[in-house]
Amino acid sequence: MSTRIKDAKARRCALGVTYEGRDARLLERMLPLVDYIEVTPETIAELVGDQLRLSPDIMAELKSLGHAVQIVVHGVSLSIGSHDGWSDSYLRLLDEFLEQIDVAWHSEHLGYTKVDGQHLGIMLALPRTDEVLDILSERVHAIQTRYRLPFLLENIVHVVPDAGGTYSDAGFLNALTKRTGCGLILDAYNLECDAHNHQFDIQKFLGELDAASVHELHVACGVEHNGLLLDVHSKLTRPSTVELAQRVITQACGAARAVVFEFMPEAVDGLGHDAIECELRQLNTALGR
Amino acid sequence: MDIATHQRALLKLFRSDCDQSACADDYICRVAQSRDLQEAKRNILLWRIYVLERTAPLTVNLLKQRGQLAAEVASFIARCNISPFRETQAPAFLEGLSESSNTLTRSVAQFELALLRVREGDCGRYVVCWDVEPHSVLHSLATNAVLPGAIPVGAYQVVVSRDCPDRLQIFSV
Repeated sequence: MSTRIKDAKARRCALGVTYEGRDARLLERMLPLVDYIEVTPETIAELVGDQLRLSPDIMAELKSLGHAVQIVVHGVSLSIGSHDGWSDSYLRLLDEFLEQIDVAWHSEHLGYTKVDGQHLGIMLALPRTDEVLDILSERVHAIQTRYRLPFLLENIVHVVPDAGGTYSDAGFLNALTKRTGCGLILDAYNLECDAHNHQFDIQKFLGELDAASVHELHVACGVEHNGLLLDVHSKLTRPSTVELAQRVITQACGAARAVVFEFMPEAVDGLGHDAIECELRQLNTALGR
Repeated sequence: MDIATHQRALLKLFRSDCDQSACADDYICRVAQSRDLQEAKRNILLWRIYVLERTAPLTVNLLKQRGQLAAEVASFIARCNISPFRETQAPAFLEGLSESSNTLTRSVAQFELALLRVREGDCGRYVVCWDVEPHSVLHSLATNAVLPGAIPVGAYQVVVSRDCPDRLQIFSV
């Protein structure tokens, strides 16, 4: 075992996993192995007439977990970086969720999914400029005021070439967290995708990042297509991703509260319950739980 | 370039084939010429198909068997402002195909849309007209079987309502 892994074990970090409801057998196998369940409100929403509402069945399922685990909310459609404003539909769902269930913290992605009300169909990263920093800071403050809960933002994959800006990648995150007090989710697999697809320098990034702002880490794995590594959360993690997460945990000096293993519900049949349980056990070992 | 201009230029690249010679900005030109953009567009298409396979399985099966799925989903993406909420995608997709010039596609899409609505608690009574025998078609699509080579032709109505046994009834007219 490397020194790095021993260091991470000494830090001890909790484990979380994504869950989108209606798979009681999978949940039963995962619950003893995790401290956090990560829920994405959009994926448990149903259409009632023309209104989006949270599924009462899944909300009842989550409420029944009681104190067995803590819930964290991780949205995908806030679009906090859209020049013309964020998504009110997402905030209505979040309001509905938080009225019913206590959560440890909530989070979103540092990007945008719509422009002038038009949905892109994908999430894009933002240029790192003062203009964008001002927009984000104002919106983060508004969210913090509205919910009075810790709020985290996640680094996303660059699906098109980086737009650059006046800040470095880490410098922008440092400025945002310093200005707003928000925390970060560092997605280790996203960093690996950017390194593979765009020659992103992970070492340089981590060397500059104020890791004390990293409250949560994500680990996942996707597939490679046409030479590009895709952020699709359809596979079990690679050792390199876990090692990267361990390094950040060590660097965060106790600030990192949880590592969340993310997979799409559509991937469950392909992965199988046995493999998911085995993955969580291995992650627990790696995290020193 | 300010953020609004930057985002609008990228939206345009994602929504249409960009005339690269018309790019006024170096960064937007670089994106337009990148393999990343093509791969990202492909991923959007695959992700839509992934969601629709689960939420509109009958219509997706029909289009797959006819080799029309990718083209229809691409047209859906180009023509509609598709919400990121997965549950809204199937109704929007099926509404578009409910006006298809192909009578079988139209009937299957109208039927599946009515079924979705009734399952969600809609009290309405929907009548879908068919010009082929519906039972064998729906059975094949629901069981992932190949459609019968020769589907009996005839005038039929399928009524979809929560008052019907199994939510649907087929009538020969």
